[in-house]
Amino acid sequence: MSDDAADVQRVLAGDVEAYAALVDRYYDRCARFAIRMLGNRDDAEDALQATFLRAYRALNRYQERDRFSAWLYRILVNQCRSVAARRAHRERVFVREEALLLNAPDRSAVWTGEDEEFVQRVLNELDPLLREAFLLKHIEEMSYEEMSALTGVGVSALKMRVKRACDRLRERWERIQHD
Amino acid sequence: MTDSEQHPYVEWIASEARRPVVMDPGARDRIMAAVRAEPVPVPAAAWRRLLQPRVFHMSPVGTALLAAGLVGIGVLTGVATSNDRGGRAAEHPRDVAVLPSQPPVSPPRDTLYKFVIVAPQAGKVSLVGDFNDWDVAKTPMIRSGQSGLWTVAVPLAAGRHLYAFVVDGTTWVQDPSAPIAPDDGFGHANSVKLVARGSSS
Amino acid sequence: MSRSRDRSRSNVFAHLRWLPRLVSVSASLLLIALPLRAQEPEQQDRMAKLDVKTRAAVELMYDSAAAEGLPTQPLRSIAYLGITRKADGRQIIAAVRRELVLLRTARNSLGRVDEQELMAAAAVLDAGAKPAQLAVFKNKQRGRSDLSAFTVWADLITRGVSGEDAYSAITRLWDDGADDATFMSLWNNVQSDILRGLNPGTALQNRIREAPGRPPTTKGPQTPEGQENARSE
Repeated sequence: MSDDAADVQRVLAGDVEAYAALVDRYYDRCARFAIRMLGNRDDAEDALQATFLRAYRALNRYQERDRFSAWLYRILVNQCRSVAARRAHRERVFVREEALLLNAPDRSAVWTGEDEEFVQRVLNELDPLLREAFLLKHIEEMSYEEMSALTGVGVSALKMRVKRACDRLRERWERIQHD
Repeated sequence: MTDSEQHPYVEWIASEARRPVVMDPGARDRIMAAVRAEPVPVPAAAWRRLLQPRVFHMSPVGTALLAAGLVGIGVLTGVATSNDRGGRAAEHPRDVAVLPSQPPVSPPRDTLYKFVIVAPQAGKVSLVGDFNDWDVAKTPMIRSGQSGLWTVAVPLAAGRHLYAFVVDGTTWVQDPSAPIAPDDGFGHANSVKLVARGSSS
Repeated sequence: MSRSRDRSRSNVFAHLRWLPRLVSVSASLLLIALPLRAQEPEQQDRMAKLDVKTRAAVELMYDSAAAEGLPTQPLRSIAYLGITRKADGRQIIAAVRRELVLLRTARNSLGRVDEQELMAAAAVLDAGAKPAQLAVFKNKQRGRSDLSAFTVWADLITRGVSGEDAYSAITRLWDDGADDATFMSLWNNVQSDILRGLNPGTALQNRIREAPGRPPTTKGPQTPEGQENARSE
């Protein structure tokens, strides 16, 4: 039995503090995804809090044959989407025939290091679905099959999203080059 | 793998993004504090021993009934809102980890609605709409009597429905007794049927 | 960028002038034919009939909608409708995209309302109402359903009533506390008048004056131009 499964069993047997072990094991990695996805710390913390709470409540539905990280990430991805949708609703401009959804870079973000801020701004410019696929593939380094199971989207659609994300990033680089 | 994915700039973005992030150290403590305020999630096997399978509506009324019956087993029907950020909306009751292996809740029964059109010259008439995926084959109408009246009754959920009649497989016809919606993008303004919630006609 | 539409309204009314009209309680007994593209009924599996690119594009839009918390059912419905109509892939994509944008704009204007209201609101925008006009209804529902109001609003504009007249009539009725039956009664009366040959705008003006409620104030409702307005919150 993996560490994860053992900890889950302990929690279900009544040892609440055993959940802290799971949180410790996954928090930083989930936080990295949430911040890269949402672009600011406040929203990321909201998503993380909701994720770990939901995971706790749903622990009895976790089955040992699933990888705990994949199971947790499904919750995390959905929570990030919810937080983004709530935020986007607040910020959206009334445009009748708008094209892609572009999230403006968040001015309240506080970062250490210029590079990290720049990278986050670049990521923020990606359409959320493209960003999500790019992060899962190139930051979380999941396989397309894992991503598909996690998001419920087909492998070919995911590959297309990752490709489009990379194309956008590359276009941005080329624009900078020519400025 | 495509050119863009291996582009040095893209790889640089990815490697920077892979760096660990620094989070507020209190965040994990807040999570555990919220978790401690929750009921302990009960494994599925224990529920099966405790409960007969039955259909529940996870509405506020339903969860209150649950609370009345099952308080002794630590089922929480409200939702813990121990959130230091001060009063963010609680999640829906059905996110509480209860009844993991219950049979699915059955939806409220749809009411039957009658659609009528007069087409004395028609050989066949179909009803198409958002309730049958606009499939001409699914809901053929029935001709009654000499008057050229065609009818069919279909169950409809509460809300707004778009529909049209297709005569002899070729001609799309509006319902003259119903409001219309704007052109659907394919050259036809469909009819609108509104079904009130809790209606019984 | 406005989509060109085949507005065959004037042809419809020309036909109606020459048809006898029977009124019954449950249904009108008139056949109004809008001759459109001929097609044959199909019995096979449906989404598979789309080419791969179209299907992928449409599925992506479903995902976008889902990610934004917008309903996907209306988008699917449009795809099925397009398949039934044997529309080409680009037309289907355009129609689905249009609906997605309308739903999104309706959500921006109205805030969080249930799916049915959102779809009805999208139709109001589709007909030609401005987002700012729709936004006037934000938070005004207070337990009332605006499905009838929105449905009649979209119908009036689609039949040829000017955007301003339709907006004016609907908001006046709403503010007077009109219920679903009142909106549908207005629609029925205006529809009868149109069938008798009246110009839609005139028919509406006549009937709105009869509508139950307070007499109109001297300063009628005006379209908010993105600025402060007595109605908006």
